[in-house]
Amino acid sequence: MMPLLNDHLISLLIAVPFLGIAAILLVRGDEWARRIALLSSLAGLGLSVTLWRAFDPALPGMQFVERADWMPTFNIAYAVGVDGISVLLVLLTTLLTPLCVLASWQAITTKVKAFMSLLLLVEGAMIVVFTALDLFLFFMLWEVTMIPMYFMIVLWGGPNRIVAGLKFVLYSLAGSLLLLAGILGLYLNAGQTFDLQAMAGSQIALEAQQWIFAALVLGFAIKLPMVPFHSWLPDAHSEAPTAGSVILAGVLLKMGGYGFLRICVPVLPEASVEFSPYILWMSVAAILYGGCLALAQSDLKKLVAYSSISHMGFVTLGIFAFNQEGVQGAVLQMFNHGITTGALFLAVGLLYDRTHCRMISDYGGLHKPMPRFVVFLAIFSIASFGLPGTANFVGEFLVLVGTSYASMAMVLLAMGGIVLAAAYMLWMLQRVMLGPTSDRWALLRDLTTREILTLAPLAIIVFAAGVYPAPLVELLANSVGELIASATALATGG
Amino acid sequence: MSIYALIPALPLAAFVILALGGRRINGASHRVGVPAVAVSFGLSIAALAEVARNGAIAVPLYRFAAAGDLVIDVGMYIDQLATLLLPLVTGVSFVVHVYSSRYMIGDPRYRRFFAVMALFTFAMTLLVTSDNLLVTYMCWELMGICSYLLISHWAGRPSAGKAATKAFLVNAVADVGLGFGVILTFATYGTLNIQEILAQAAAVSGQSIELLGFAVERNTLITLCLLSGAMGKSAQVPMHVWLPFAMEAPTPVSALIHAATMVNAGPFLLVRMSPLVLLAPPAMVVIAIVGAITALFGALVALTQSDIKKLLAFSTISQIGFMIFACGVGAFSAAVFHLLAHGFLKGFLFLSTGSALETAGAHGHGGESIPASRTRPLALGALLLTSVPIVVLFCGPYERLWTAQQVPAAGVAFWTVAVATVFLTAFYAFRGVVSLFGANVGTSVTARPRLLSRDHVAAIAVACVAVGTLLLGAWSWLGTFLAPAVGGRLGEAEAGTFSPLAAVAVAAAVAGWSVAYAGHLRPSAVPLGQREWVKRAYVHFLNRLYFDELHDLCAVRPSLRISRWLWRDLDVRWIDRAVAGTARVSRLGAESLHRLLERSVIDRAVAGTAGVSRLGAESLHRLLERSVIDRTVHAAAATTVGLSRWLWAAVDMRKIDAAVQRLGRLAAAVGPALRGIEPRTLRQHLLIVVYWLVAAIGLSYLFTLQ
Repeated sequence: MMPLLNDHLISLLIAVPFLGIAAILLVRGDEWARRIALLSSLAGLGLSVTLWRAFDPALPGMQFVERADWMPTFNIAYAVGVDGISVLLVLLTTLLTPLCVLASWQAITTKVKAFMSLLLLVEGAMIVVFTALDLFLFFMLWEVTMIPMYFMIVLWGGPNRIVAGLKFVLYSLAGSLLLLAGILGLYLNAGQTFDLQAMAGSQIALEAQQWIFAALVLGFAIKLPMVPFHSWLPDAHSEAPTAGSVILAGVLLKMGGYGFLRICVPVLPEASVEFSPYILWMSVAAILYGGCLALAQSDLKKLVAYSSISHMGFVTLGIFAFNQEGVQGAVLQMFNHGITTGALFLAVGLLYDRTHCRMISDYGGLHKPMPRFVVFLAIFSIASFGLPGTANFVGEFLVLVGTSYASMAMVLLAMGGIVLAAAYMLWMLQRVMLGPTSDRWALLRDLTTREILTLAPLAIIVFAAGVYPAPLVELLANSVGELIASATALATGG
Repeated sequence: MSIYALIPALPLAAFVILALGGRRINGASHRVGVPAVAVSFGLSIAALAEVARNGAIAVPLYRFAAAGDLVIDVGMYIDQLATLLLPLVTGVSFVVHVYSSRYMIGDPRYRRFFAVMALFTFAMTLLVTSDNLLVTYMCWELMGICSYLLISHWAGRPSAGKAATKAFLVNAVADVGLGFGVILTFATYGTLNIQEILAQAAAVSGQSIELLGFAVERNTLITLCLLSGAMGKSAQVPMHVWLPFAMEAPTPVSALIHAATMVNAGPFLLVRMSPLVLLAPPAMVVIAIVGAITALFGALVALTQSDIKKLLAFSTISQIGFMIFACGVGAFSAAVFHLLAHGFLKGFLFLSTGSALETAGAHGHGGESIPASRTRPLALGALLLTSVPIVVLFCGPYERLWTAQQVPAAGVAFWTVAVATVFLTAFYAFRGVVSLFGANVGTSVTARPRLLSRDHVAAIAVACVAVGTLLLGAWSWLGTFLAPAVGGRLGEAEAGTFSPLAAVAVAAAVAGWSVAYAGHLRPSAVPLGQREWVKRAYVHFLNRLYFDELHDLCAVRPSLRISRWLWRDLDVRWIDRAVAGTARVSRLGAESLHRLLERSVIDRAVAGTAGVSRLGAESLHRLLERSVIDRTVHAAAATTVGLSRWLWAAVDMRKIDAAVQRLGRLAAAVGPALRGIEPRTLRQHLLIVVYWLVAAIGLSYLFTLQ
C-alpha cells in the first residue's frame, strides 16, 4: 500500500476532488453534499501534507514524477511532479479549500450540490496546474479553472454579478488566448514537445523568445494581475461569494506567478532577463498604485481586492529580481498572501453574512458586540501589511533584499507601498472595529465555533510562519536555487 | 541555551498564556503577567552582575531563515549596554504591572491589557539584547503594534482609535527609513549580525552608493536611516505628533511607553550602532540638530500645556531630544546615563500623576484641585521630583556637552540650546507640578484616594531619588563600564569627571525654578507676560506649532486625495473604460463586419451559390435522373421480378411450407412452457442484453488474447 501511495501520490491528490464531485452528484440532499465536500477537501489536505512531509528538499529536480502517454502523436503526456514551489502552492490550495467549504456551509443555501462540486472542480484543476510537467496539461486545466469560477460568480454572487462574471471571463479568455499562442510558439520552437523539463534545456533563438515571452507575460499578467490589466479583479472579488473570493485571491492569482516561475524564467531565460527592468518597474508601480487605490475604497471587499493588486506586485518584483532571495521571497509572498488575503475575505464574508453591509462607513465599534471577530480581523489586517512576526513580513523582506541587488530606489518605493498598506488597513480597522458602537450593531452575534475553526488555522499559520519561517524557506531553497542557477547559466552562456 | 534567554521568553510566555487563556483567567490576568516580569527583572539583575564580572554574554537561539546570502540567526547578545537597559525595562515594567493590577481593576479588557503589556515588555527586552539588526527591526515594529493596541485600549472612544492609528502610521513612515537602512546594511556588509557589522564598519568607510542619482557615503546613509527610525519611535520633531495623542492610553501604559519601552528605543539604537555612527560625521550633525530642535521645541511646548499628561509627554519629547542630541555630539555614554535616569523618574511621575488624577477625577490642572490636606505630602514629593531631575540630568554627564566643541560655532549653538532647554525644563516642571498639587483648593471635588496611599507615593519618590543619587554616584563607574559596548570620540579619560561648567547648568535650572515660582505666586509679575509677541508665541506653542495640522495638510490629505483621484479618474474612468471601450469597438467592428461582409458579400454569395446549385440540380434532375437513372431502375426492377417468378416456379414451395408449419406447432407447444421463466420487465430485458454484451466482450477479449 505505501509504495503504491507514494508512487501515485500526486495522481491520488488530483483524483480526490474529482471523486468528491462524483460522490456529491450521487447523493441526495444538501447536507450530505456539504459533508462530502468537506471530507474530500480534508482528504486532499491530508494527502498534500503527506506530500510535503515526504518531499525531500535536499534532492535536486522534480520528485514524485508520474508520466503516461496521452496523445503520443503530439508528444502530449500526462506528466506530473513537484518541486518545492509546487509543494507549497499545492499545500495552499488544499488548505484553503476545506475552509471555503466551511465558510459556505450556511452562506450558500441554493444549489448547494452544484456549488460544492464547482469548488472541488477548481481545487482539482488548480492542483493539476501546480503539478503539471506537461504544458498542454497545464494549459488545459488552466482553462478549466475559469469555468467554475465564472459560475460561482454569476450564480451565487452579489448584486452586480453578471457584469463582474462577464468581465472575468472576457479578461481570462483574452489572457488564455495569448497564453495559448505563447505555448504553441514554445511547442514549435522547442522541438515539438510540451514537456517542460525538456523545454528548459532547449535553446530557443532570442527573437523567438521575445515574442513568446511577450505573449506569455500578457497571459500571466492578466491572471496575476499586474497593473494595467487588473480591472477585472476588484469586480470579480467583490461580487463573488465568500468562498469564490477566497479561492480567487488565495490561489487563482498565484497561477500567474507560478506561470512566470515555471515557464518564463526557465524556458525563456534570456528574454526574461532582457524584459526584467520593465517588469520590475511595473511591479513597483503596481505596489504603489494598488495601495493608493485601496486607500481610496469605501467598500470593505474592494479594499481587500485592491490590496491584492499591491501585494502581487511584490511577487513579480521578487521573481524578476532574479536572485535566490527575491524568488524565494516571491514564492513565500504568494503563499502568505494566499493565507492572509484568503482569511481577510473569509472574515469580511462572515461579517457580510450578518450585516449585509459592505460599506466601511456603515460599521464602527464592532469591538463590543464581536470581540472574537475583531481579534481575527485585526490579526489578518496587520499580517496583510507585513508586520514583523507575521508570515507576510518574511516574504516581503526577502523580496526587498532581492530587489536591493537590482536597484535601491525600487526598494525605497516598494517600502512606500508597505506604508500605504499599513495606512489603509489600520484606517479600515479604526473605522470598523473601534469607536462607539451604534445601536444597529449592538446585537450582532459573535463568531460561532465553526467560524472560529475556519479562521483559527490561518491565524496560527500566519504567526508560526512569521516567527519560524525556516521550514518553508528551506523547502524552497534548493528548487529556487536550481531554477536561478540554470536560468542565469542559460542567459549568460547562451 | 542560557538561562538569560528567559528574560524575553517569560513575558512572551505570559503573553501567549493570556492571549489564549480565554475568559476564565480574565480577573486573574495580573497573576500571570506580574510574576513573569518579576522573574525577568531578577534575571536582568543577575545578567548585570555577570556581565560586570565576565563581560558580554552571547545567547544564540535559533535560525530564523536562510535564503541565498541572507542568513538570519536569532540570538541575544547581552553586553554592557544591554545589561544596563534590561533592569530599567523589566524593572519599570514590573512596577507598572503591579500598579496596573490595581489601577485597571474592573476593566472589561483586563486580560487584553496585561497580554499586550507583556508583549510590549518582551519586544523591548529582545530589542535591547538582539544581536541581529533584522530582529531589532522586528521588535521595533512589534512595539509599534503594541502601542497601537494599548492606545486603542478604550476602544469605545473615537479619539482613542484615531490616536492609535496616528501613532502607528507616523511610526510606519519613520520605519520605512529604518527598514531601508536594514536592507542597505545587508547590501553593504553582507550580514545583519550587529557585532559583525560594527567590526567591519571602518573598512566600509568611504564607499558610496548611488541612490536616485546621488552618490551617498554608505555609512552616512545607514546612520541617517537609523535616525529616521529613531525619530519615529522616540518622537523627534517632526515625527513627534503621535506621542501627545498616545495619552489616550490608560496612564500605566504612558508610564511604560515613556519610561521603559518605545521612546527609549531611538537613543538605544544609535548607541548600539555607535561605532558606525561615529564613522558618519555628516549624519551626526543631522542627529545633533534634530535632537537640539526637539529638546528646545518640546520644552517650549511643555511650558504652555495645561493638561498634565500632555505636559509630561512634551517633557519626554524634550528629554529624548536631549539624548539624541548627546548621541549627535558623540556623548553616547551620557545618552545612556540620561536614558536610565529619565526612565526611572518619568515612570514614577506618570504613576503618581495617574494616581493623583484618579483621585482628583479629572485630567488637567488649574481648574480643579485636591484638598490641600491630602496633597501636601504629594506636593512635597513632587517638589523633590522637580528639582531632582534637574540635578541628575543636567549636572552629571552633561558636562561633556559643555565641552563638546569640535566646531566652535556649533559648540556655541549647542551651548545655547542646552542651557535654554535646562532653564525651560526647570520652569515647566516646577510650574506643572505646583499647579497640580498646589494649595489653591478646589471647592466640590470629592477625593477618592483608593489606588496608592500617600505613603506609597512618598516611598516610591524616595526610592526614585535614591536610584537617581545612586546613578549619579555611579556615573564615574558607568563611563568605564560602558566603554567596551559604546563607541566614543571624546576621550574616555573625561568620563566620570565633573567640569566646573556644570555650574552653569545648575544656575540655569535654578533660574527656571525661580521664575516659575515667582509666576506661581504672582501671575501678573511674570516677566514679558503682557507683551504682544509673547502672547502670540504662547498661542503658537500652545498649538504645538501646528505640526498636527501641517501633517494633515501635507501628508494625510494629499495622499487621500491622490488615491481617490487615481481610483475615480484613472482606474475607473480610464483603465476600466479603456477595456469597456475595446469591447465596444470590437462589437461595433463585429456589427459592421456583419453588415458589410455577411449580408452583402457572404449572404449574397451563399444565395448565389444556392441559386446556381438549384439550377444545376434541376437540370441534373431532368437530364440525369429522368433519362438515365429512372430507366436503369425500371430495367433492374423488371429483371428482378422476372427472376423471382422463375425461382418460385423452380423451387418446390410446398415442402418448405410444410417444414415451417411443423416448426410453428413446436413453438406453440414450447412457448407456454417457456413463459414461466421469461423475463417480463424492460429492466430485465436490458439486463440480459448487458449480460450478453459483457459475455460477448469477455469472450472476444479472451479469443484475441489467444
